Amino acid sequence: MEQVIFVVWRESIEALLVVGILYSWLKQFGADGTLRYLWFGVAGGVGTALVLAAALLGLAQYLSGTGQDIFMLIMMLAATGLIVHMVMWMREHGRTLHKHFGDQTRKAIENQAFWSISLLVAIAIAREGSETVIFLYGMSYAQQTMQDWASFAGAVLFAMVLAGGTYYLLQASRRWMSWKHFFRFTEIMLLLLAGALLVSSVDKMISLGWLPALVDPVWDTSAILSDSSRFGGVVSALTGYRAYPSLMTLLVWLGYWAVVLGMFKYQNRQTATPAAAAT
Amino acid sequence: MLKSSRVFGLVAGLALATPALADMPSYDLELKDGTLTPQTIEVKAGEKFKLNLNNTGNSPVEFESSRLRQEKVLGPGAKSFVVIPALKAGEYEFIDEFHMPDAKGKIVAK
Repeated sequence: MEQVIFVVWRESIEALLVVGILYSWLKQFGADGTLRYLWFGVAGGVGTALVLAAALLGLAQYLSGTGQDIFMLIMMLAATGLIVHMVMWMREHGRTLHKHFGDQTRKAIENQAFWSISLLVAIAIAREGSETVIFLYGMSYAQQTMQDWASFAGAVLFAMVLAGGTYYLLQASRRWMSWKHFFRFTEIMLLLLAGALLVSSVDKMISLGWLPALVDPVWDTSAILSDSSRFGGVVSALTGYRAYPSLMTLLVWLGYWAVVLGMFKYQNRQTATPAAAAT
Repeated sequence: MLKSSRVFGLVAGLALATPALADMPSYDLELKDGTLTPQTIEVKAGEKFKLNLNNTGNSPVEFESSRLRQEKVLGPGAKSFVVIPALKAGEYEFIDEFHMPDAKGKIVAK
């Protein structure tokens, strides 16, 4: 049952991070009614997870599996792009909230950005959520007696409490950190997560034969932290850590950070110029 | 640079997406509620192969190996397979993520 607790918590942590951070951001910046985009995303994500799980269970017998891989790949790439877009938008938004735009233009831009919040949340939940649904659905088959069922239900409940606790911890950290620090901290966490999703995407593309691995592996740090262990697995899901990275994976990861930092620099210059001109 | 390499990957992928599966050596792995049979799979180094996955237990399994870049969820009773590219000689760990920490095995390429 300890495995049920761990799997449910581990599969939910990524979605919790995304939802939790966006929730705090929207509370801080968002005008009235913007939180509903978040809840749209949550509802859409849960629905998609259920449909996806049912499809995977139903079709698993007949599919060769490549279709499933490609679908997961598309979701991961979309999530990567959306997270980076979200972070850029929040940085911009924090500065220009009361400047530049007329109300009309701002509304249009905001609506667009808010819909990408819905989409991002939906993907984050659907991706891991579908696995959780398959896992729990399948596990429920393995329960035979009333006693089995009771401890199974107990484990699921405990995992949910644990996940809720993680979410609460994130929200609570808002209290003992200044807004500025909280924003920086969550921004880094989201960018690391986007990098991790990109790394997983590259790995998937290499396994599909779409990208060459180049040098494989570049190094082996499995003695220090194996990404197959429980703890290593969580670290690798949140940061993109690999014990045996290929050169291709490493290059894309470095390229990702170069592009992100480059965009920040460009954005800083863009917003600095009109401000300087105005004074 | 990132974008263009991605597009290139997709285009190249479409051309390579249909490998001939028939003439590939294949190996079987049975996953049953956390028991992996066989736990050690010996394969020939430098040869692409197919690994048939068969979940014969009554709980779901997730065949996973970050070293081999594979991840596949199988419901109870489900069968599937993964294609693993030519490996250099060495040992490659895999796990059943839904039955950790004990369900571990390895592929040995010689």
